Amino acid sequence: MAAVDWVRAQARKESLALLAPGILVLVIAFLFPVGTILITSVLERTEDGAFELTASHFGKFFVDDYYLKVAWRTLRLALVITLATVIFGVPLAYIMRRAHPALRFAILLTVILPLMTSVVIRTFGWLVVLGNGGLLASLVAPFGVTGRSAVLMHTETGIVIAMTQVLLPFMVLTVLGVLQGIGRDLEEAGRTMGAGFWQVLRVVVLPLAVPGIVSGSLIVFALSISSFITPSLVGGVRLPVMAGSIYQSIGGSFDWPFAAAQSTLLLAATLLLIIPYARLARTP
Amino acid sequence: MAELHIKQIGKSFGGVEVLRDISLHVKDGCFTSLLGPSGCGKSTLMRIVAGLESPSTGRVIIGGRDVTVLAPERRNISLMFQSYALLPHLSVSENIRFPLRMRRTGSRAEQDDLIAKALTLVQLEGLQDRMPRALSGGQQQRVALARAIVAQPEVLLLDEPLSNLDARLRTEMQVELIELHRRLRLTTVFVTHDQDEALTLSDRVAVMTNGRIEQEAPPSDLYDRPRTRFVADFLGAANVLELAREPGTLAIVEGQIRLPDPPRARFIALRQEDLELTRNPEHFDHSLPVQIVARVFLGGRTRYKLDVEGLTLFAIVPRGAYADAESGTHVAWNRGAIHPLSE
Repeated sequence: MAAVDWVRAQARKESLALLAPGILVLVIAFLFPVGTILITSVLERTEDGAFELTASHFGKFFVDDYYLKVAWRTLRLALVITLATVIFGVPLAYIMRRAHPALRFAILLTVILPLMTSVVIRTFGWLVVLGNGGLLASLVAPFGVTGRSAVLMHTETGIVIAMTQVLLPFMVLTVLGVLQGIGRDLEEAGRTMGAGFWQVLRVVVLPLAVPGIVSGSLIVFALSISSFITPSLVGGVRLPVMAGSIYQSIGGSFDWPFAAAQSTLLLAATLLLIIPYARLARTP
Repeated sequence: MAELHIKQIGKSFGGVEVLRDISLHVKDGCFTSLLGPSGCGKSTLMRIVAGLESPSTGRVIIGGRDVTVLAPERRNISLMFQSYALLPHLSVSENIRFPLRMRRTGSRAEQDDLIAKALTLVQLEGLQDRMPRALSGGQQQRVALARAIVAQPEVLLLDEPLSNLDARLRTEMQVELIELHRRLRLTTVFVTHDQDEALTLSDRVAVMTNGRIEQEAPPSDLYDRPRTRFVADFLGAANVLELAREPGTLAIVEGQIRLPDPPRARFIALRQEDLELTRNPEHFDHSLPVQIVARVFLGGRTRYKLDVEGLTLFAIVPRGAYADAESGTHVAWNRGAIHPLSE
């Protein structure tokens, strides 16, 4: 018994040693700053210099129509972007899975390439395409679509397009990973049992791909709800999102507590949506 | 149930010919095995029958209907995969229901009835609500079998279905497959690389190599009268010998052994059971002095490895003849034991 206990204790020590670096990074780089934000968001400095608890920073957010609009826009954009990556990413992942390895690599490269470019360069690329007098405008001009309706710069549609491009690889790679675990024999078995191509996709491939689609959406959603540079550059000042608004509170008005309150709300909203959704992935 | 006609099927993958002019007729209710080493084209041929591959040339006719260009789901076949290919997100009964559901066979109650019958046939009553991952390999195999037969396909295709089982379970399943076939009389094509399995289970066996059918015959014919060198070699029951072309003598090349009255063939087969170890070679048509190199006990029989002036022969001796064999000085056989082979 003693020997068994010793071995167990030893195994526990070894696990702890392996976990230590990760935990250390997590504490320093995540728990500490997030904790600081949480505390900052509920504290107020009184006139005599002491701190007291307050909900006023949160109140400021909820009474102002402007901030509620920003929050709703951020959420809506994140949902639409996530949906767009599912619509484009899932079929693409399926095609990659079926494709010849050379073609698969070519697609992979095309999908990942935007990630390897600087966000600023990429966004200015979209400016050239979507902006006034840009490629899109000149393409649709012959069809009588001119003026404001031909310009997607500074529109939510523009933000969705640019963000979908950047976040597509996260969806594609996650779903591809899951699809590669689904044997070709399952699809073939489906066909020999009387299901057509589309029916096999619907009743065999899609149900088995759900965990991948769920984790892909979680990543994309989390990244897009907190994204800052692309929405700011493509959307401009007229279409601020939460991350931009937080930045504004710090950089513009030095209102750290209000920035912290907004950050807390963003984090809470994200967790509230993500946790029930993540449960979906558990039951395949 | 229906006849299967495979007519002059050819198949090339990127310039490599994997099937050449294959013709095969499987009669209604017949159990035919495609037997051959891996890479001989047997699986490709079966996939062509299933519609998972399309042939470069030739036709596939099931029950008088030309299905060559029909998609798999439009053919009334079922295929049991080597991997079983059970759908991991569906329970046992939903897996078995799948072909009925896809083909819209009967009402739900009628489907339940068919599922219950199929489960009884493969002796899996009571497991219908389990998920595939909660089953043992043998049980998964039975579910796959139940799913393959539940829709009463015109042709049942089995792709090495027993190769993932351990030896004891495999023998057990062989017996069950025979019983199941006797009961349902489904036209069946069984793909295997295991000659014992093919000979045990089948009404007819087609031995394949290099994308061709070498010989197609009932198992006993195949065993007793292999037609080609490959068939004799692959079935493993015979010594295959190459002869020198010297008229009037049977000279076995390696040993330069001369015997009178040779057959007109370059290769001959001598079945292991037809060879005898004896001290009285004068009672036989042919005999050679021999040394016993090794013996393998096989239960009711013993297999001897023999050396005849540098040439290795195998002989199988039944239990009653051990004493004679052990003291044998010659390996001997009668003329009838020699089967000429084509190359």
